[in-house]
Amino acid sequence: MTSMRLQRMPLAPPRVAFALRVLSVVLAILTAALVLWGSGHNPLALGAKVISSTFGSSFGLEDLSLLFSPLIYCGLSVAVALRIGAWNIGAEGQFNFGALCATGVALFVSGPVWVILPLMGVAGMIGGALWILVPTLARAYADVSELITTLLMNFVAMLLVYWLATGPWLDPSGMALATTSRLPVSVPAFWGIVHWGLPIAILIAIALSLFVTYTRWGYEVRIAGANPGAARYAGMPVRTQLIGIMLLSGALAGLGGMMEVAGTVGRLQGGISNNYGYIGIMVAVLARAAPIGVLATAFFMAVLLNGGIVLQSQGLTTHTVLAVTGLILLYAAIGDEAAHYKILRTKAKDG
Amino acid sequence: MRDSASVQQRLGLTPGTPPILSLKSVSKYFPGVIANESVDLDVYPGEIHALLGENGAGKSTLMNIVTGIYKMDAGELIVDGRRRDFSSPTDAIEAGIGMVHQHFKLVRAFTVAENIHLGWPETPKRISRNSLETRTAQLATDLGLAVNPKAVVADLSTGEQQRVEILRVLARDAKLLILDEPTAVLTPQEARELFTALRAFTARGNAVIFISHKLEEVLEISDRITVLRNGEKVATEWTKDCTEKSLAQLMVGREIVLTETHKKSAIRVKAAPVLSLSDVSLKGEQDTVLKNISFDLYPGEILGIAGVAGNGQRELTYVISGLSQPSSGKIVLDGEDVTRAGARALAQKGIGHIPEDRLHSGMAPTLSITDNAVLREYGAPPLSRKGWFSPRGAANLAREIASIAEVMVPDFNMPARNLSGGNQQRLVARREMRIAERILIAAYPSRGLDVGAINTMMRYFLELRDSGVAVVLISEELEELLSFSDRIAVMFHGEIMGTCPTDKADAETIGLMMGGTRQEDLP
Repeated sequence: MTSMRLQRMPLAPPRVAFALRVLSVVLAILTAALVLWGSGHNPLALGAKVISSTFGSSFGLEDLSLLFSPLIYCGLSVAVALRIGAWNIGAEGQFNFGALCATGVALFVSGPVWVILPLMGVAGMIGGALWILVPTLARAYADVSELITTLLMNFVAMLLVYWLATGPWLDPSGMALATTSRLPVSVPAFWGIVHWGLPIAILIAIALSLFVTYTRWGYEVRIAGANPGAARYAGMPVRTQLIGIMLLSGALAGLGGMMEVAGTVGRLQGGISNNYGYIGIMVAVLARAAPIGVLATAFFMAVLLNGGIVLQSQGLTTHTVLAVTGLILLYAAIGDEAAHYKILRTKAKDG
Repeated sequence: MRDSASVQQRLGLTPGTPPILSLKSVSKYFPGVIANESVDLDVYPGEIHALLGENGAGKSTLMNIVTGIYKMDAGELIVDGRRRDFSSPTDAIEAGIGMVHQHFKLVRAFTVAENIHLGWPETPKRISRNSLETRTAQLATDLGLAVNPKAVVADLSTGEQQRVEILRVLARDAKLLILDEPTAVLTPQEARELFTALRAFTARGNAVIFISHKLEEVLEISDRITVLRNGEKVATEWTKDCTEKSLAQLMVGREIVLTETHKKSAIRVKAAPVLSLSDVSLKGEQDTVLKNISFDLYPGEILGIAGVAGNGQRELTYVISGLSQPSSGKIVLDGEDVTRAGARALAQKGIGHIPEDRLHSGMAPTLSITDNAVLREYGAPPLSRKGWFSPRGAANLAREIASIAEVMVPDFNMPARNLSGGNQQRLVARREMRIAERILIAAYPSRGLDVGAINTMMRYFLELRDSGVAVVLISEELEELLSFSDRIAVMFHGEIMGTCPTDKADAETIGLMMGGTRQEDLP
């Protein structure tokens, strides 16, 4: 007689892990389809519609790319902080404040484009870093959980943007009701409406990935993130690393905000962050904080978001997409754990 | 094995007396691990039954089943002739099984009387402080365990706290008392008092299960010994028929050579001390944890630090390795003031440190074995050049360290927490020995190792010493200190009670110093 037993393996085989990831996505979509079917929709027609309008035309692909880019910035922002064991829930706020600072430069500093654009990028990064500065120092010196502080800063940044865009910085021409005037400079496009923000994001992801593997600092951050006690034991400057990494995290989200305002939208307006900062958390977690992984998961999330927009035009709310992303996260978490298990067939002892 | 009738007769019981506790083919599985496999165990009234085994042999799991913390996956548990299936620790307590854990479960801010009555169904609903104390005093006399009911637990010595813990368990009518490594926190004198109390307890027809890995005391206190290995019972023997050697062999499962002799270090060349501490104090969060520590450490010696755990040994290692900066005093390494040098600088100057709590301060358990193995040498060529880090260099170094540490690693990308405790210890020890050009600080290096591995590690320490490195060996095993160190310093409440050469030291005087007697006040 044989009996079956599950055994947990210390490492999940990469092929199994990947297969289970794909399976979890398929299951999530199937679950959503089942619910849609139950509520009287035709899931197959909806699915075909989503696919054809996303991948079927260059317009669809361009829209997709515009969603892809901010998700990379925010995903990288959260991922970088995760590497040192910090939860940056505030990419949303840093994104907003980075956009705000970049807009300030564009509106009030005049000069040639090749000076103003980099200056806006720097302003965006500094803005993002500033927005995470207080939570960072509170965490580094008083051990205040950054989870709460970064989250709370989001609302402040969001309201600040609303106020500026509808008040002091409101478009004086009277053409727009709730935005600033169109920025005099913009990030140039290289394909249709897709601007250079995307390739720069991809380059940053590659650079970060090399950084974590091939630099001494990357190693130290890895140790400090996994066990600060061991990092102190080896004499690493844990606090300086934490501050540096968290500021970098804020800067990445801020740069994303700058690209959004100067490349995609063209004006500063309330809600410009479009929840990218929060979805960035999901992007980073699904990528297990690996910068190259962020590229894949950000793309995937972009497809889902785009699908949501298409579904909206079919009379469904965006909540459908949120539900699907939630399901994917749930199934992926189960799949990641399941990938560690191996089924053993053992011959039961006689007797 | 002898049939049970003869067991009862040899214990002085009437034939046919049922065991207090009987386990039949008890098995317990965790994912990927067999914690216990078909364990049989009978514990009779009046006996002290020792449970022996290496770390990870399944002692704790088995006792957690007996005390209702875990449910067994197969087998039977019979208490006083009745088959039981405990669904919670409360059930086990009601059945008369009580356990004293290694870490006491007392409320430190409460008095002894309050602790005894806490969470006890028999505590009257309305009761005055006075009657609480009278009841406690009565219990203490009845059960023969002297405690002061009015004393606040935080003010008691570890031995006294343990007595309170035992009294609390016995007050709930325990017939079977389980003690988990009870002497680990006691001085030899306190251990002797405990043994007397245990004998009085079993003389009343009760039983004790005594978990330990100290062979010597197991031989002293128990009537019978059950040895577990890899979750299975290897044997139950009469203590009279056992020797340290036979037990060690049963535990490890192969012939091992206990290091009997050891050559003392060559006559010390009148060298300058490699490290000098003068008047070093360290303030903790509430009180001073190190008080005016002064000593010299010479190249080529092993300085043993004796003392009950928690008397400042950890803080001492932190100060010497630069993890903590002393609040006052001075530390000089080879003529250079290193009081505020910091951990990195001291490691670079050749101080290796095998920390007490390797998993939490010496390793990053979730990271790969490679990352962990290179923790000391990642910053210098060939691993790092101008800020660039070479993963390949790291992998090579990790392989090298694992091979001299004799650790079989199936995959160096595997998280380090998946290594067994013993392998982690070996890896950390080897990593630290590589950088210990001047000093090696080893805090409880034998924890988690089997007898054979302890021997190997001690042999490495002796080799290091003979090559001129100073070794600071912190241990709670007096035996180990007496056989391997050249001098022994004894710590108590953050102070050094005294230092003496090992050949002039004996367990008795060291025990007195461990309990707080200064060397100059010794009889």
